[in-house]
Amino acid sequence: MSTAHAQNLDLSAPPVVKTIQQRSLFVGLVGAVACIVGAVTPSQSEKFFHGYLLAFMLWLGVTLGSMVILMIRHLTGGGWGTVIRRILGAAMRCIPLMTVLFVPFLFSLPKLYIWAGPLDRVADHHLREHLQDITQSYLSVKGFWIRAIIYFAIWNLLSYFLSKWSAEQDRPPLRDNSPRFKALSAPGLILYAFTVSFAAIDWLMSIDPSWISTIYGLLILIGQLLAAMCFAVVVERILVRHKPMSELLRPSFVHDHGKWMLAFIMVWAYFSFSQWLIIWAGNLPEEITWYYRRLGGGWGYVGLFLVIFHFAVPFTILLSRSFKRDITRLVWLAIWMLFMRVVDLFWIIEPNFSVTFTVSIWDIVAPIAVGGLWLAFFFRNLASQPLLPAYDVYAKEVLEPAHD
Amino acid sequence: MKTTATYGLMAEFDSPRALITAAEKTHKEGYKKIDAYTPYPIEEVAEAIGFHHNNVPLVTLIGGIVGGLSGYLMQFWISTIDYPVNIGGKPYHSWPSFIIVTFEMTILFAGISAVFGMLALNGLPMPYHPVFNVSRFAMASKDRFFLIVFASDKKYDAVATRQFLESLGPVSVAEVPS
Repeated sequence: MSTAHAQNLDLSAPPVVKTIQQRSLFVGLVGAVACIVGAVTPSQSEKFFHGYLLAFMLWLGVTLGSMVILMIRHLTGGGWGTVIRRILGAAMRCIPLMTVLFVPFLFSLPKLYIWAGPLDRVADHHLREHLQDITQSYLSVKGFWIRAIIYFAIWNLLSYFLSKWSAEQDRPPLRDNSPRFKALSAPGLILYAFTVSFAAIDWLMSIDPSWISTIYGLLILIGQLLAAMCFAVVVERILVRHKPMSELLRPSFVHDHGKWMLAFIMVWAYFSFSQWLIIWAGNLPEEITWYYRRLGGGWGYVGLFLVIFHFAVPFTILLSRSFKRDITRLVWLAIWMLFMRVVDLFWIIEPNFSVTFTVSIWDIVAPIAVGGLWLAFFFRNLASQPLLPAYDVYAKEVLEPAHD
Repeated sequence: MKTTATYGLMAEFDSPRALITAAEKTHKEGYKKIDAYTPYPIEEVAEAIGFHHNNVPLVTLIGGIVGGLSGYLMQFWISTIDYPVNIGGKPYHSWPSFIIVTFEMTILFAGISAVFGMLALNGLPMPYHPVFNVSRFAMASKDRFFLIVFASDKKYDAVATRQFLESLGPVSVAEVPS
């Protein structure tokens, strides 16, 4: 710490964080009670778990996406990442919560996945033969759980070490942990790409076990990164009203966050369109089923809504330089994109269970309930550490004005 | 060349912070036609000299739109009018298959427009520039930072402006012959 400016600044999180944590916890607990009622009521149970899968994938996305952006920051450096690293870190440290929230799937596999139930009840004999084949090789209940344990073990371990080394930098002496961060982050990013792809296949794609797409894992992956960046922008907007973030956040950092959002939106559109183009061009009966279901029965309007409001409109808005540099305006698009992530996951998951467009109450209650618990845990994590590790040699790129 | 032909007055500074402070003061003093030269890009300098807006993004956007439209229309014309071929029983006007080339043409035209638009708006290539008449200006690509007030500025006065620049604590102030 060389400058007087840095020494005078209290880096701990503002008290508003505690207030939001308590309110989120209240919403989360009320929602959790409603969810437990839904899960045990026989008439609601099946619909509840469809909504719960949506909620779980949404908040898992923010959690893992934050870990990935943090690892990218450790590899590339840059003030844009330093200024939000504790926001990303607090979101990443919600992985233990997501691990616990995965346990309810123990009671619901046959409600979500046809391959997890008794196969002799499957009426279509082609599908039954296919299922008998793949449940022996890959999609077995045992395999599902073994793989899930591996995914969560890897994510928890990555999060544990990244958090531990980061916490060391809150105390003297001044240290440079970047070699360790780099050594973990590079293989960590590769491990993440593989685990999240397999998880996307196990948890989402296998709902329709007769359909495959090789880009599916990447589509889920990019959605997670987008959700995480948007979430970080929302939190930095809340924090920038108070010290210390009001002193740290510069327009050039906000500009970079806006550029990330633009990039992720474009990659999402690129992957989505690639999947559509390849299936459209091939025009094979076993491949077009996925789109056939999602473009008919009213689901097509949701798909069109995604094209316009998950890509075209946000893309056009984000071309503006002044928009990307203004946190008070960028935050509204970030909130909107988080909503669009819900819509995208809804469009991926729900048409599997209904030919015509339907929204159940659980598609709304479950994301809010899980979100309440998640946000309470997130803000607890955020309050537990300073908003910047003051004893990191790289903290000065944010703490000191440039070019001094 | 007349002896009165002056391009401007140039002040030399030895740190970016000194240049930014001086540029801000000069701009606040009412000088609008000013410019700064640094060995490496410093974003704050553009703000300090009151340079908020440039037209490169607009040129890039127009280039991108022209590229995208021409890409799509070219394929539309080839596939439906000039040389229709039945591919997999699909309609001649199959828009999904046109998107890739449309996208590539958008990027190509936007990229080319950005480069050439930037060069044109900067007036490049420029074989002669008066600032090089000051021999110390060679340091602008090493470790010195320069601020110039152009003689075409309304407030420019050979004596008063020099006095003002000297009050900013520069390493040197030099008149730039045009």
